[in-house]
Amino acid sequence: MNGHLAILPFLLPLAGSGVTLLLARRRALQGAVALGLLLAGLLSSAALLREIWETGRPVVFQMGAWPAPHGITFAADLLSATFATLAGAVFAAGGLYAWGSRDDAVRAQPAFFPLFLMLAAGLSGAFLSGDLFHLFVCTELIVISGAALTAASGGAGPEAAFKYFYISLVAGLGLLIACGAFYAAYGTLNLADLAARIAARPEQPLAAVAAVFLLVYALGKCAGVPFHFWQPDFHAAASTPVSAMLSSVIVKLGVYVLLRCGGLFLPLAGGPFRAVVLAVGVAGVAVGSLGAIGTRHAKRMLAYSTLAQVGLMLVAIAWGSHGALAAAVVLAVNHALVKSALLMIAGAMAGRAPGHSAAFDALRGLGAALPAAGALFLLGGLALAGVPPMNGFIGKWLLFRSGAGEERFLVLALLAAAGGLSLVYTVRAYQLVWWTPRGGGSGASPAGDSFAAPALLVAACVALGVFAEPLLRLADGAAADILRPDALVRPPPPPGGAP
Amino acid sequence: MNLLLALAIGGLFGTGVHQLLRRSVVRSAIGLVILSNAMNLLLLTTGAYDGAVAAYATLQGTHSDALPQALILTAIVISMGGFSFVLALLLLLSARHRSDDIDRFTELRH
Repeated sequence: MNGHLAILPFLLPLAGSGVTLLLARRRALQGAVALGLLLAGLLSSAALLREIWETGRPVVFQMGAWPAPHGITFAADLLSATFATLAGAVFAAGGLYAWGSRDDAVRAQPAFFPLFLMLAAGLSGAFLSGDLFHLFVCTELIVISGAALTAASGGAGPEAAFKYFYISLVAGLGLLIACGAFYAAYGTLNLADLAARIAARPEQPLAAVAAVFLLVYALGKCAGVPFHFWQPDFHAAASTPVSAMLSSVIVKLGVYVLLRCGGLFLPLAGGPFRAVVLAVGVAGVAVGSLGAIGTRHAKRMLAYSTLAQVGLMLVAIAWGSHGALAAAVVLAVNHALVKSALLMIAGAMAGRAPGHSAAFDALRGLGAALPAAGALFLLGGLALAGVPPMNGFIGKWLLFRSGAGEERFLVLALLAAAGGLSLVYTVRAYQLVWWTPRGGGSGASPAGDSFAAPALLVAACVALGVFAEPLLRLADGAAADILRPDALVRPPPPPGGAP
Repeated sequence: MNLLLALAIGGLFGTGVHQLLRRSVVRSAIGLVILSNAMNLLLLTTGAYDGAVAAYATLQGTHSDALPQALILTAIVISMGGFSFVLALLLLLSARHRSDDIDRFTELRH
């Protein structure tokens, strides 16, 4: 039975996608079923995480009982279960937000919940996948449902979806090349099997090609700097629940793949891999921070800040020590919670603004009637900047400790400056929306989306900041799992007879 | 056979990338299709021609590898779905802007 836990976080939303499609004419029921299944997905991934934590062993499931190297493997260790639980939590909050949303792109769109659940299924499936090709399939599931959701957002939605879809398809083709090259070189696509074979024979000529394309794919997915141009445009156009998911947990797919496969293709790429990832990370921190300062649009500002935060994680991955990898995991968890909460608050405020615009000119002074939302935004902004009582501090502290231990002070100074900048832009946004008097603008509507979902997420941020120890121990275990790729899911050898 | 496949993959790749980078979105969508076909051929070379006997058949001889064929089948289905979505988007956008020039798609400019 326990093996089945590894597929439930994938299967529940996937089944829900079909069920909610059948319920397209009964909208109230559709939303309730979707929310229920997202919560069930969260509970199943939390149960999976608990199982792995208590037994100390990964949970492996072979689809259809086909034996390991050829059949499709679902494999969950501490790292993947942590990310799956994170995805489950953020998607459940996103479902809650969408359930009560007054936005026409959500409410009047019968295909919204089916696509949203498919997005959730694709992400959990990608995190729990033990097979490179299955990762590709889940990626495409994410890309197609994410682009369709964006295209249905109205306004500039189709254009943003076009941009996002093109870049993602090309990144997906990169993963497909990597699959082909790895299979030609090593005759397997099972991650654990691949790790073992690469460690045994790292000098295969095609293997370096595969590693490069895998790197391109992962950087494209996490909006690393030369591949980031779709990101801010996308978030200005997509509806709030969608952009809150794509900027928080979906970009973590690239981070996860780098963490997971970093152990896999480090024997091939080694030093150059670290140099490239470090350069991309530092560039991301610089471009993201400056872009967020320079923009006049709340959602764009948050999207640029995602570039900077992902840059921090890439720097941690490039350093690659145990402490730095644990820092990357903590940063990923924190950023997903904070960024989805902030985007939901920005979206809920934009829903009250004239023309539903999230530009600062439209939002100015709008928060006077909503001081509680302002408090949430400020708490979220502090968490993003890494101010001590909040969870963002824990991740940055881990990163700085591991960087200082290896005397990388130049990069650390840049990261500290970027942290200062993030404090500047979030507090500036807070002042513009909640402190500035509204200058005679009309058309603001008093009613809008509920702040319940972002409040829950911010509460989780505060809780993880004050009681940080469980997360720290989890990240410690996950980092240990990354550094021993051969101890990862090593499935039992096939009984023989497999072609 | 190997040389022929290698030349075909290289040719398709080059054409695909060149078309993908065109300013006309229709040509660039065609480039996407060519690229995905190059990819399918690439997967095919990773072992589908290892033997002449169908996989799982109870015949004598070297069996061909079934996995690349399964991979290609999946990739074809996915790229078909993705491509039809791209075409739908293109139809919408070209009707809206009365052009297929990517530079005319300006709704996201700030």
